[in-house]
Amino acid sequence: MAAAEEKLTKFTEESLVTVPFDVYRYDPAKGGEPRYQRYELRLAPHTPVLTGLLRIRDEIDPTLTLRYSCRSAICGSCAMLVNSKSRLACRTPVGPEVQAHGRIVIDPMRNQPILRDLVVDQQPFWTRYEQMEPHLILDPSKPMPADTPTRMSPAQVERFRDTPRCIACGACYSACPAVEADPGFPGPMALAKLYRFVVDPRDSATQGRLKKIQTSGLWLCLRCHLCTEACPKDVRPSERIRDLKELAVQAQGGTELGSRHAIGFLNNIEERGTLNELKLVRQTAGVGGVLGALPQGLRIWRKKPEITKAPPPIEGIDQVKKIYQALEDKKEGQE
Amino acid sequence: MRLAYYPGCVAQESGKELDMATRWVCKALAIELVSFPSFSCCGSGFIDEANEVLNVALNARNLAIAEKAGLDMLTICSTCQGMLTLANIRLADPKVKGRVDAALKPLGIEYRGTTKVKHLLQVLTEDVGLEALKAKVVRPLAGLKVGAFYGCHLLRPADEMSWESGEEPHAFEELLQAVGATPVYYRGRVMCCGFPIQFVKPETAERIAGRQIDDAKAHGADAMATPCPLCHISLDTYQNQVSKAVGHRLDVPVFHLPQVVGLALGASPEELGLARHMVSTDAAVAKIGSRALA
Repeated sequence: MAAAEEKLTKFTEESLVTVPFDVYRYDPAKGGEPRYQRYELRLAPHTPVLTGLLRIRDEIDPTLTLRYSCRSAICGSCAMLVNSKSRLACRTPVGPEVQAHGRIVIDPMRNQPILRDLVVDQQPFWTRYEQMEPHLILDPSKPMPADTPTRMSPAQVERFRDTPRCIACGACYSACPAVEADPGFPGPMALAKLYRFVVDPRDSATQGRLKKIQTSGLWLCLRCHLCTEACPKDVRPSERIRDLKELAVQAQGGTELGSRHAIGFLNNIEERGTLNELKLVRQTAGVGGVLGALPQGLRIWRKKPEITKAPPPIEGIDQVKKIYQALEDKKEGQE
Repeated sequence: MRLAYYPGCVAQESGKELDMATRWVCKALAIELVSFPSFSCCGSGFIDEANEVLNVALNARNLAIAEKAGLDMLTICSTCQGMLTLANIRLADPKVKGRVDAALKPLGIEYRGTTKVKHLLQVLTEDVGLEALKAKVVRPLAGLKVGAFYGCHLLRPADEMSWESGEEPHAFEELLQAVGATPVYYRGRVMCCGFPIQFVKPETAERIAGRQIDDAKAHGADAMATPCPLCHISLDTYQNQVSKAVGHRLDVPVFHLPQVVGLALGASPEELGLARHMVSTDAAVAKIGSRALA
């Protein structure tokens, strides 16, 4: 017993670091402008940002308002901006942040109205989630047996990838530039959840779901992968959105501008192996699109006259065509 | 240094000035570029959305061409860098490799996965090295404040790209400093330029581009610089439309990465194709012009 106690590592004053927190403060009930409040703590480098904020609230300033619950990256309540990055405060240690930035600036999440201090109104986030109909839609003619579990093969389970791990913290929604710029984009979390139901073998609404999402935001994803960086559970929403796009293209073809562009690009490269920029406009937007783009095209042509010329085919274009023939009709992940 | 040069589609067409500047800079730094007229398009993220395995196979062919010549690849586009790197990673999955091999083997193409893919920004900062680069600077870009704009696919997904932070990189800013410019740090530097949805919803794409240009400007940038010709299309070629989308005139010149380096190493604006930009770079060049070469 005594030997075990000797092995305990104690945090001495020297092993702590000074952590300057600059915390966003705003209370609309009191009016005035939002401001940053500086608080300084001495903390061990591995201390989670959330622990620091709770110490501030409990020991320095009881008016600091924040949302949290489990402190263990399970409940998804404490997403916020840590030095401008969308993060769960409970699983972001203070040490590396102080080392990189000299301080820790804390803001509420982006893309949602601020209620008070670090608490945002998550209603828009949840509304978009609900629009995905995030539940099994069963075929009424094939009811699930009441007393036996439904079996799934390992390959079927694998198709969910990491989407069931999502804790709906909203970090991806906060990090997403498409959400920021366009109210028509449902956000990474909603689309990752949609993917989870699209690949569920028990769901009967796959085609309807894909059709609906094609016209309600799927093709507004920028594939910037900022959601994948922000996600504390490694759900990788940007990659599942890519999967949704491919599933939609393969099942429904070029019904929308977005899918037409993907298919147009694919066909464009089959011809010469290299991009024919001018032709791509026609392939995606049609003749009307070409006419609409004419004034801008002329402007560009004056500086870059070669845009009207089709590039020569690459050497070995026959190889490219054969690769297309070998792989074009096979559907991904449908076995 | 000898590298298989993968210019990508845009640098051979509307973005030819990027190819010109790359060749000039590589010559000045004794980097031998080996051209392969057989390289095909990387798919630009669009083929990937329509048919992932086809896209991987096309890039396996590209990688195999460089591999056969025993060379690593040099890219000058963030998207090319992303797509070729991801192809290498996806081909490590035996299921994917099996399907790709089945398409490539009958054509006599063998992909083994030994070719590394590096973007010019990585070659300059890691292989040439900032000290060596600094030693070659004859016209420091002193006084010029430049906002680096990375382009998503060069950084993310960071686990796969595995060379810089996905959200807080420094390589480009350090390079700008090495050539005498003052880097400007702003949130937009790691954000999206809007290009992937330019065809789908131009007004949203342009608002996104405008946000980043405004951000750079608000932080004092005289100019922006990008390692990605697709970002260059959004930020420079379409800047007139972007200005309309945000409701005010932006007027921020946007350099390609090797143009900034080329200027510092003594290249003339003509050699770097600066006259091909839609937004004039004259004012930015004039800022460093007082130290122009004889």
